[in-house]
Amino acid sequence: MTARSLAFCLLLAAPFAAVAQHEHHDHAMHMDQGGVVMNANTDRLPRGCEQISDDLEFTIFAGSAYAGERPGVIFGMSEHEVRVPPCSRLTIHFVNEDAVRHQWMVHGLPRYLYPAGMFHIEAMGGQRQSGTFIVPPEDRTYLIHCDMAQHMEKGMRGQLIVGGGSGTLWGVTGISDAFYRSSYLPSTAAALVAALAVIAFAVTMGWKAWRLRRAGPGY
Amino acid sequence: MTFMRRHGPWLLVLLVAVLAFPPQWYPHEMRLTLTRWFGADDYRPLPASKPGATLQSEEKCPPDPSGWRDAQTVDGVAIRAAKTCTADNPYMVAAAVRGTNNVSSDTLMQSGLTPDAIVKGRDLDGDGDPDEIHIRLEVVELNGASPIERGKVTRYPIAPGIEPGLWVFAPKLVGMAVENLESNEARYALRLPSPAIRVEQGDTVRITLENTHYMPHTLHLHGADHSFVDVTGEGNDGVPIVSEMPVMPGSARTYELTPRHAGTMFYHCHVQPHVHVQMGLQGLFVIEENRPDNRVQTLNVGAGQVRVPSRAVAGEFTQEYDLHYVDLDKQLGERIQRSNDPRLVTRSMHRDYNVTNATADYFTLNGRSFPYTFRESLVVADEGETVRLRVVNGGSKGIALHTHGHKFTVIDRDGVPLPDAMRSPQDVVWLATSQRVDLSLSMVNDGRRSYGPGIWLFHDHQNAGVTTDGIGPGGNVSAIVYGEYLDESGWPKTQGVSLDPYFTAEYYRREVPVWESYAPGLFGDPGSDWRLLVRLLVVALCAGALGAMLFAGLRRRYPR
Repeated sequence: MTARSLAFCLLLAAPFAAVAQHEHHDHAMHMDQGGVVMNANTDRLPRGCEQISDDLEFTIFAGSAYAGERPGVIFGMSEHEVRVPPCSRLTIHFVNEDAVRHQWMVHGLPRYLYPAGMFHIEAMGGQRQSGTFIVPPEDRTYLIHCDMAQHMEKGMRGQLIVGGGSGTLWGVTGISDAFYRSSYLPSTAAALVAALAVIAFAVTMGWKAWRLRRAGPGY
Repeated sequence: MTFMRRHGPWLLVLLVAVLAFPPQWYPHEMRLTLTRWFGADDYRPLPASKPGATLQSEEKCPPDPSGWRDAQTVDGVAIRAAKTCTADNPYMVAAAVRGTNNVSSDTLMQSGLTPDAIVKGRDLDGDGDPDEIHIRLEVVELNGASPIERGKVTRYPIAPGIEPGLWVFAPKLVGMAVENLESNEARYALRLPSPAIRVEQGDTVRITLENTHYMPHTLHLHGADHSFVDVTGEGNDGVPIVSEMPVMPGSARTYELTPRHAGTMFYHCHVQPHVHVQMGLQGLFVIEENRPDNRVQTLNVGAGQVRVPSRAVAGEFTQEYDLHYVDLDKQLGERIQRSNDPRLVTRSMHRDYNVTNATADYFTLNGRSFPYTFRESLVVADEGETVRLRVVNGGSKGIALHTHGHKFTVIDRDGVPLPDAMRSPQDVVWLATSQRVDLSLSMVNDGRRSYGPGIWLFHDHQNAGVTTDGIGPGGNVSAIVYGEYLDESGWPKTQGVSLDPYFTAEYYRREVPVWESYAPGLFGDPGSDWRLLVRLLVVALCAGALGAMLFAGLRRRYPR
């Protein structure tokens, strides 16, 4: 599956590969044919960090294959939860196995280091992108998601737990439940509930009548 | 004494009920008799009008701080001014003309497109423009559901407060789908309708559908010359029941064509088309005539004014506009907002929903309904101009397109030029579902082609089409505006009623009396007749008491 979608994508890109070689660099964004890394930070320490506590690397695979066997989930990642110590430096290798774009985006980071509080890796279909950033010293849970329309809703929602974290987010695929869960009641539910209420009423009435009769006319 | 003890209570209650019964509801004959005896009742004022609610209107014409409306040259592409209030991103226009592989990195960044969104290759016929065109489209859901958020996500209003669930083909953009996580507003270029695609006759066109959505889709090139299979024998018509398997979520497929004829065509998804086309998966596909050095604007986001017209159009017309009409069924769009599970959405849309019982509720022109059409879908011209309008009706109902102040000429129908004998001025043209017409609209003031400068509406003349879910003015109403009737900001200098109430969600929620802004109170909502209500409540109390007395009496008479 992986090899096939990769090959398919290369096939698509091949005819024009020679003419298009865009690369864009500024302090916040790196873009090339393979995708984008935004707000990478390899050396600026967040306030409160004396030094980089640890150097960690994660390889995250993404795509429809990583929805796994979970019912009702369309897209996914190989890891929906990443746990790291405070002040650690993370290098994420984001491997997109679909033939369409996907993103690995963290929100809520300090804005003095990360514009809009965001660290963002985006990989085109079949591509791999790597980016590095340093997490702050506080114990906190950050949202990780793919911000393409409906990708977070349909499975690409994760959490980055720094230190002890600040709890678990709702709706993290495979980890926590949806805040608004869809209704899976069978279509007969209303009839069943009504029938049961009627039965309960009839049984109670019958039981009372039976007790009255048993008590006899003198009761 | 015994009689009074026995019958006094119910007789008293009956008397109260009769006295409380509203005299205006007495039988007609009785009222006439009473009138003969006592004359007419004294004057009693009707309930006063309720004071109108204070409405917070949206800004009619948001400012344009980035100067997108101005005429400008970006990467050597001369982009015409957009005189309307909101305009397309000129960097997007430039990238669409030159190709994302032929613009500066700054232009590419400001366009928001990926480097491979519109790739333009070799000049195959040696006439100075690229003829290898590779477009990548994604599929985006607007106003969809979320398992976390209470409201809709990737929001796109078609009119104040109206956010129907939509699916669109979209240009391939870098980054987030929303402006920011807090507002959840869809980013520029993620909108209805799907972008108008523009290529040159004879171009080798490849369109890759990158299915970023959670359902299967395809691309069908309606009316555009394409082979049933591509060179490898793979299906190329986009029709799952005859040519190929649909493109699954996360997958991609490339469609190819080398159109031999110019004309205004159409593209749409062909998976469960009775639902998917209606959801918004449809766009204009324009094939411009082959001319030397003819760099066409490959994508026209949201349709509307073509800011870089082709050589052939620019030679014959002063301006070119893409007009894409779509009607929407409110009850269909809601189905993607009720549940997040794709299985439940699929069942709801493709089995529970019955299109044979469907109604059209929203009527859009270029993805918006009035009053938003006045921001971006005006046709702005000066006296003496002749404008080409490429019109498609992507809705499920026909439209009777009518222009005030002008008679236009249909020059092409369904992408084929009409012979001269079939061309005559008209002011209503019928467009069946999926039909295209090219109109020549002239501003020559001769009493037929034009009646002179003004703000002249154009709209579907069927009654429903000028409403938004039955509330007017709304729907696909827009206007032909002559330059002198447009202010600096791009807003038409209207002389009629205030448009402020139409820029509120309350108006389209049926909460505002329609003439409240200029005749406050006169046709407002009347207050309620509390006196009548109190009388009825007394009657109800008496009726209940009488019923209980009757029941008790019957039990006494017929004990068990």
